[in-house]
Amino acid sequence: MKEKLIEFIKSEYLENEDSEITEDTKLISSGLIDSFSLVSLQTYIEKEFGKKIPAPKITAVSFDTVKQMIEIINQF
Amino acid sequence: MLFGLTFFGLLIATAIIYWILPYQKSRNIVLIISSFAFIGYNDINALIVVICLSVYAFLFGYFIEIKHNKKLFHRIGIIGLIFVLVIFKYSGLLTNTFNQLTSFINDFPKISIYKLFIPLGISYITFKYISYLTDIYWNINKECSFINFLLYGSLFTIFSAGPIERFERLNPQLENKLQFQSEYIEKSFERIVFGLAKKFIIADWIGYFASPVWKNSGDYSLEIRSLALLGFSIQIYMDFSGYSDIAIGSSKLFGLSIMENFNFPYFKSNISQFWRSWHISLSDWIRDYIFFPLSKMGKTKLWFYFFVPVIAMGICGIWHGASWNFLIWGIYHGVGLSFYQIWKKYLRRKPETNIFFKSLAIVSTFTFVTIGWIWFI
Repeated sequence: MKEKLIEFIKSEYLENEDSEITEDTKLISSGLIDSFSLVSLQTYIEKEFGKKIPAPKITAVSFDTVKQMIEIINQF
Repeated sequence: MLFGLTFFGLLIATAIIYWILPYQKSRNIVLIISSFAFIGYNDINALIVVICLSVYAFLFGYFIEIKHNKKLFHRIGIIGLIFVLVIFKYSGLLTNTFNQLTSFINDFPKISIYKLFIPLGISYITFKYISYLTDIYWNINKECSFINFLLYGSLFTIFSAGPIERFERLNPQLENKLQFQSEYIEKSFERIVFGLAKKFIIADWIGYFASPVWKNSGDYSLEIRSLALLGFSIQIYMDFSGYSDIAIGSSKLFGLSIMENFNFPYFKSNISQFWRSWHISLSDWIRDYIFFPLSKMGKTKLWFYFFVPVIAMGICGIWHGASWNFLIWGIYHGVGLSFYQIWKKYLRRKPETNIFFKSLAIVSTFTFVTIGWIWFI
């Protein structure tokens, strides 16, 4: 799951695909991912992992890093 | 004045009783009593509306939680809340507009309605309860005690000027007994003083110079009006973020952590970042309950990149007041967000890292936002 999420984020949202992101890289609070991107990320998670994450769970506090995303995905 | 001597007197008296009581449940009841006293003292009609809406939303939350037809109860619950908001806040605007639009038709009957009062905090409480019902529908919120729910809706420290806190965040804080810490008083005092300084020293001082320009704007040159607009931009930030500081600081006196509402919005390099830093509780609300659901309703890029932000920000705008100016202001920002996304996705080669261009981006964003305040004045 971790690798798939990182790969998706790098290919979809980062201008430079060679940029390194880890599971602890701050994505929302740093401005790398905005609300528009979160919609497609939410759709990707739903299709790829079969988990529907409610919008209020996708916040800059609780959904900021890939590590946090995995925690939230596992809750649903 | 909502944050006047009465507010602070009530705040201190409530805090003393609150911390003397041994159980969190009894403390929560004291907070509800104080909140009702505050709301009733400022607007007795608002108190009636708060009690009625709280019973309504709690019942629908219960129905959504236990009944099979969750979707139906969710929809009815939301429609009821929107209906109340529209009737109290926008019925005057809508009837006036209708009468103006039909004025050119001879003998067309005019609609006249009984002028309704706008209850204090109606916009905040309806948005809070919409999020509460939707979060139950999305399985985020679970059944809770009516006392906690009533306190969520009426908590006097955040009742009149937000932030629009989420039940999911507040409820766990009301469940467990909080231990008194002297840090609460220090942090609370610091934040309240900071908020008061922003509001009464900076914002009101700027307003003292800028307001006369807007009263007789025709008498002033373009340069002076531009300077006054710049002043208003700083004034509205200091005013509103000052209120938020007072609300957050006052809540801290009870050991409650309320979400932040501002994060240096005028130092952001694009309009998307601005909206993640300005009135955060409202922009998060708009994103979660308007933007996300709307995004799923259409398939085209035009819908996603243009209509969704414009509609979402239009709603954000009209929420601020019963005037078409606020709607235009919201649409202006929606168009700004739309253009920024299109530029970012299709035209920008790579993000600027050069300090000059970054500074230019910050100035451009600030200028765009400041021009938008014209519809607020």
